[in-house]
Amino acid sequence: MQRLAATRIAVELAGQSPIVGGVGNSTFDLVACDRPSNFYMWNSMGMASSIALGLALARPDLRVVVLDGDGSILMNLGSLATEHTAGVTNLVHVIWDNGGWEITGGQPAGSPFGIDLEVVARGCGFERTATCADLDRFRTAFAEAMTDDKAWLIVGKVAPGDSPYRPSKNCVWLRDRFMTAIAD
Amino acid sequence: MTTPISIKRAGRHEAAAAPAWAHTTLEAFRAEDIRNLVFLPDTVMGRLLALAEQDPFFRLVGVHREEEAVGILSGLFLGGQRGAMLVQSSGFGNTLNALGSLAMIYHIAFPLLVSLRGELGEFNPAQLHMGRAVPGCLDALGIQHLTLRVQDDLETLLNGALKTCYTAEEPFGILLSAQLTGWKPER
Repeated sequence: MQRLAATRIAVELAGQSPIVGGVGNSTFDLVACDRPSNFYMWNSMGMASSIALGLALARPDLRVVVLDGDGSILMNLGSLATEHTAGVTNLVHVIWDNGGWEITGGQPAGSPFGIDLEVVARGCGFERTATCADLDRFRTAFAEAMTDDKAWLIVGKVAPGDSPYRPSKNCVWLRDRFMTAIAD
Repeated sequence: MTTPISIKRAGRHEAAAAPAWAHTTLEAFRAEDIRNLVFLPDTVMGRLLALAEQDPFFRLVGVHREEEAVGILSGLFLGGQRGAMLVQSSGFGNTLNALGSLAMIYHIAFPLLVSLRGELGEFNPAQLHMGRAVPGCLDALGIQHLTLRVQDDLETLLNGALKTCYTAEEPFGILLSAQLTGWKPER
């Protein structure tokens, strides 16, 4: 499936829930579906899952979505264990699996070598997981994840391809807009 | 809906044995509404964590690599909660890119407590270089910091550092010298 089309589904089904975009194409495609409750990263690769965990701890009244990349989570695999040990149940962790580091030239990483991130998540204590290779299955799994009372991890198999969209370079403005949008 | 897993996080350390600096630090945190202690333990922080764990005001969030703490504290800040990072100097080395490319550029405020190895009473040669590099790394990133050495003026320094931290909306390094926290007898 195309990452942008799947991102549009996630934003549609997320309602008012905050969405954290992982560094690079995960954030860039989310910019195409811009809304104030999107948080965009410009660097700190690997940190999207940890930012989402902090948000989930701070706001147990919200379901927190993170659109992560396979390269990013491979850099911070320990964060999957931390999501479980911290005890959050209001986290919906999506990993776009395009088989590598797309933005730097498509170097392979993860799944081309047989790495199965859904199995890794299961081993880290996630009871609710899915791997989706087409938009219909992704829509079904993501909709279930958004209405469940447990943490979810969904691996979305997406086609390679760079995103042309970019967020503002004013990071404090991005921060303030996001904080205002999700304030109680 | 957070359902904390009920496992004691402070390990073998006991709250009753907590040193004076740990009491002073937690009271300074309480005064600034800093409830979340995001940590990767060492024996120094373990003593503070034991004291915090029996106090329902505080929430302990353990990480598996220190860089995660920068992300978690950023998420807490975005969600309207305050927290502190508790790490050792060796682990501080694991946080540098996230400090520069996330916390500083997005102006995320949190105290960054670092227990300093490699300065006084060190027995482990592998702790020497990262320990003595901490102030220089913070300076290179433009992160304000101070070093706590004695109990006497601890309350003033902590209260002042925390107030400045939230005014600047940036991390503030609070380095704990072994002069304050003690060192291991091992040679």
